[in-house]
Amino acid sequence: MYYHNLRNNIENFMYIYLPIAEQPIHSLAILGIGAFLGLIMGLVGVGGGFLLTPLMMFLGIPPPVAVASVANQLVAPSVSGVLSHWKRSNVDFKMGTVLLLGGVVGSSIGVILFNFLGKIGQLDFVIKSSYVIFLTLIGTLMFSESLRLILRSRKGKITRGKLHQHNWLHGLPFKIRFRKSKLYISILLPILIGVIVGILAALMGIGGGFIIVPAMIYLLGMPTSLVVGTSLFQIIFVAANTTILQASQNQTVDIVLATILLLGSVIGVQLGSRFTNILRGEYLRLILSSIIILVSLKLLIDLVTVPSDLFSVIISR
Amino acid sequence: MKVFFHINLIFLVSILSSNTFAQNQIVADLSQENVKISTDFQGAKILLFGAYDGKKGDDIIVIVTGPKGLVTVQKKEKILGVWVNTRKVNYINTPKYLSISSNRRIDDILNKKTQKISEIGLNNLKIRIQPGIKVEKEGNWRQALTRNMLKSNLWSINENSVTLNKDSLFRSYLKLPSNVITGQFEVKILHYRNSKLVSQQVNSINVSKSGISAEIYDIAQNYSTLYGIFAVLLAVLVGWGSNLIFRKV
Repeated sequence: MYYHNLRNNIENFMYIYLPIAEQPIHSLAILGIGAFLGLIMGLVGVGGGFLLTPLMMFLGIPPPVAVASVANQLVAPSVSGVLSHWKRSNVDFKMGTVLLLGGVVGSSIGVILFNFLGKIGQLDFVIKSSYVIFLTLIGTLMFSESLRLILRSRKGKITRGKLHQHNWLHGLPFKIRFRKSKLYISILLPILIGVIVGILAALMGIGGGFIIVPAMIYLLGMPTSLVVGTSLFQIIFVAANTTILQASQNQTVDIVLATILLLGSVIGVQLGSRFTNILRGEYLRLILSSIIILVSLKLLIDLVTVPSDLFSVIISR
Repeated sequence: MKVFFHINLIFLVSILSSNTFAQNQIVADLSQENVKISTDFQGAKILLFGAYDGKKGDDIIVIVTGPKGLVTVQKKEKILGVWVNTRKVNYINTPKYLSISSNRRIDDILNKKTQKISEIGLNNLKIRIQPGIKVEKEGNWRQALTRNMLKSNLWSINENSVTLNKDSLFRSYLKLPSNVITGQFEVKILHYRNSKLVSQQVNSINVSKSGISAEIYDIAQNYSTLYGIFAVLLAVLVGWGSNLIFRKV
């Protein structure tokens, strides 16, 4: 009897009531999920939000609360990650600042769009289908690229070509020199990338790392070593802007949920960034791209299969 | 709580045994009248108990109705291979919590007609579609509303859940799920004899947020921008702090 009560008390203690999501949730599960995603984030510089938001929705957190709270939690591992990358001089602050200017504009547009979609009842659909499209795209791209690199290095022929390919994007006006990244490109390109990533970040509850990292590598041609730190730097501001706007516009930021998640993720991200120089980048990206493809498949199946109930109910508070 | 309950029972029984207890009366009390949603809230189980002036074969039905308001039913349709919400119907004046408990099958207590007149049963609720909305096959939508509310445990039918004792005492557990809405809940206890209402009593339960949970909710609603800024600062602080800690390890 006593044992039973004790066990009950411990189990009760594990559950914590989320004030904004208005439901209890198992705190250890959330802490663990946060830590795991922090680890991925520290290792690859991407992957906090895009896995976290669907997981929170799978746990029954309303999508608007999941998206806004994940944006809030992303601030912490990003700050922590930037600090450790900064120490190793892996951040291009000039490029980061240009990107974040676009990101702040983009995320503001995103929150407005988010609000509008919620009103017409299409938010869930738009969130899920955006995930399917972008995860499939990025996942496939990353997978084939890293597989190619691995196969090439196995054959022993490591061919170093140019730093990056030149294309029409490099012919745009307002060119600026980014010394750290060894680039001389138009400022319009990183700003545009920032805006697009910002919109998606606000809409999907992500920092935008999984879009901005490939964009930095493949579109801007930045050195891979700088990409992680720089993307984390701009994520801080995009996530912060999204959080403040979501809180003031939609009152959907659950600070309790975000705090548990971020406590887990800061531990994870620290561990992750320690191993980033040990594990090889292309193997990491191969694993991550496999996870990305799996998540997008799961979401696609959800959208395509006949729902168990065609009807659903929304209870206004 | 238990001691309290027993004292109440003794009190009730003493009322019953003395002749001061008026005929055809019902008295009831709740183990908890104020439900506080704090950070450890996982739903509530409230004991409803009381005494009634009963005869053999009498029945008790307990109806708990939560706050009423707008509930929207959405329907998905397949568009280009993907299931999308395409239509919706707004129901107004809909209870966001409803539980109907009885000592035996409601169909055995009351006939269908009486159930309909007294608004007992999920299909007999006077719920209306928002004026101005045209709906085909209204029945399907109404069924979907009931089905989904039952699935979320916000609506429930609990036959055989009221325990009667010596035709004079009754008790029942009222369960509020963790996703319950805050507000005033009406607890109506109906005493039937041969399908006729003999006496009734109405109690109420107040569900509110309390403690840190309530304060966070209030701040998020009333000082939303400040709340957002605070949430960001907290995250920055934790991120920075963790970096300091891990550097020393």
